[in-house]
Amino acid sequence: MKKHNVWLSVDFLLKAAILFAFIFPFLWMISTSLQTFQETLSVPPTLIPSSPQWINFVEAMTSGPFATYAKNSIIITLSIIIIQFLVMIPAAYAFAKYEFFGKNVLFALVLIAFMMPGQVTFIPIYLMMADWGLIKTLIPQILPFMSNAFGIFLLRQYFMQIPEEIIEAARLDNASEFKIMWKIMTPMAKPALATIALFSFVSHWNDYFWPLVMTDSNEVRPLTLGIAMLKQSEGISNWHIIMAGNVVLVIPILIVYLLCSKQIVKAFVYSGIK
Amino acid sequence: MKLKYVLSAMAVLVFMMLAGCQGEAEKSSGTKSKEEGTATIQFWHSLGGKNGEFMDQLIQRFNDSQDEVKVVGTFQGTYDETSTKLQQSISAKTGPDVTMLERAYVQQFAESEVLEDMTPYLKESGLKKGDFTKGLMGHSTFNDKLVSLPLNRSTPILHVNKTMLDEKGLKVPTTWDELNEVANALVVKEGDKVTRYGLTMPYDTWYPIAMISQSKGTYFNKDKTSVGFAKNDVGVKVFQYLKDMQKTGALYYPPAQDSGNIVNQMFAAGKVGLMFQSTGTIGDISQNTDFEYVTAFLPKNKIHATPTGGGNVAMLAGSENKEAAWKFIDFMMEDPKGLQQFIVETGYLPFTEKMVDSKEIQDLWTKEPNKKTAYDQLKYAVDNNKSVAWPETMHEFFSAIEAIMYDDEEIEPTLDQFKGEVERILSES
Repeated sequence: MKKHNVWLSVDFLLKAAILFAFIFPFLWMISTSLQTFQETLSVPPTLIPSSPQWINFVEAMTSGPFATYAKNSIIITLSIIIIQFLVMIPAAYAFAKYEFFGKNVLFALVLIAFMMPGQVTFIPIYLMMADWGLIKTLIPQILPFMSNAFGIFLLRQYFMQIPEEIIEAARLDNASEFKIMWKIMTPMAKPALATIALFSFVSHWNDYFWPLVMTDSNEVRPLTLGIAMLKQSEGISNWHIIMAGNVVLVIPILIVYLLCSKQIVKAFVYSGIK
Repeated sequence: MKLKYVLSAMAVLVFMMLAGCQGEAEKSSGTKSKEEGTATIQFWHSLGGKNGEFMDQLIQRFNDSQDEVKVVGTFQGTYDETSTKLQQSISAKTGPDVTMLERAYVQQFAESEVLEDMTPYLKESGLKKGDFTKGLMGHSTFNDKLVSLPLNRSTPILHVNKTMLDEKGLKVPTTWDELNEVANALVVKEGDKVTRYGLTMPYDTWYPIAMISQSKGTYFNKDKTSVGFAKNDVGVKVFQYLKDMQKTGALYYPPAQDSGNIVNQMFAAGKVGLMFQSTGTIGDISQNTDFEYVTAFLPKNKIHATPTGGGNVAMLAGSENKEAAWKFIDFMMEDPKGLQQFIVETGYLPFTEKMVDSKEIQDLWTKEPNKKTAYDQLKYAVDNNKSVAWPETMHEFFSAIEAIMYDDEEIEPTLDQFKGEVERILSES
């Protein structure tokens, strides 16, 4: 019994240490966002601000067209996720459950797309978008991400695990293929869908490189670029303002994470298979 | 069935969003053409934070001063990111009319003939090259064409915590030998751990190049076929000098990431007494220190020398509104509310006689003599890294600096290898 307790406390301490290592940078960010400029410079570093400077958030949000940035970030990220789901689910269903000519070649193409980094394709895509006169729109930030190769791959694996008998049974009941896909397969793949949605959201919400190279004007820029602009080009950066901007940037990610993590757990517990 | 409705609703939503974007496109695509006789000029820059706000104010002052030209200023990331964006946008014909260019990139763009020769415009406005401070015009002409003018220019300078030196009865160093002595005398150790350093500088090619020039070497040789610091082991001596100081704790060489901010904060916090750093930081530092803070010329070795840095302004050959673009550039150069005011606000260097003689700048120098030191040092300005191939060799130079300063690699073989790389790059370009 005693030995058991020792292990429990070691277990607890280890978990606490790992948790602390992950959470500390976030706490520091929040702390810095509430400090005065002098406090951000002090050595040793200030951990708890003497009086919280909420004004930092006002200053960060009024230093540029942040309402536009936020609106763009939301439109871009939501559009990407919705379009990806519309493309990804039928594609994954076809790759998992249909036999057709050239299936393996097509799937290999999907995997190659998965391995191609944006840094390789951005110049041709920029030239193409400029040619179509779309640089002053949000489309260059949405269209290239219409399909999500990682998502198709993950979802296909998931669909393949669903027994053929379930589909057969539905077909016997005269369900259309469309209905099978959306009403039977999709709900069963909830954990995979939640995972993909979370990854997709985080990577596009936080993206700096792609919007930077695809946009030339503030009207079409997302939050990440607005926050990069807070950084002093020469001299001492106003870390308290930059961190206030970062807190605003991170909050939606935390919300989406909390929503998705609940969904993942729930789906694992209640799903009919395994 | 319900799902079908949800799906079609989602699809409609997506199309509405895309259509919404399209609508915005139409709204803003008119900016390049003339609207009611007003020409709109796109101006790209790399100024963030407070400097970015001062630049926005300058643009606002210009727009308020007349109603023929409207300038839209846009931040395009760091100097490097701006230059990448320029390259892609010029080939896509979506480039701006006027742009800020880090001075070392000017040659590269000038060679591709995408920068407009501003000589006729300069004449038209009654200006001449001689009106500009010579030390800052090093990157302005290319094949007899005036391809850029100074904008936010700076040089490295020695920042001194005078209070710390006085406590030890030390004088501000003016030569390398004195610098070595003072920096070592400032070191404070607790056991083996250094708690206070003598000298620091950001991780950058700027400072080694300054020191090479001070030792009568050059970055490129005269014919631009190789490096100009192999003769008499100039390069080896520069890095040996730095390494010797690093070993005793006299030199703190910061980690590469965000090194400029790190050294500024250490200096402001009194953790280091001397710092090589840009003149662009004087304003911030003087506001945030409670010790006696002075600036001085970079110490000399064989001679006094300093490279220059910061951004220039250029007009793009592809602009459809060159007259309007020049109007904006001319305002920045000549109007007291143009760059002169920006310079007073930010601490960058004035660069025309008119600016230097103005009451505003003279008042500023009386109030903050530290800023005058930087201007006076310009008489020693020399830039010997001018080449189309500079940006490419710069990356190799960074690798050599990393190998020597961080990984303790042998200096001579590292520099020999760097020399080989430079010769290869120069022979290819």
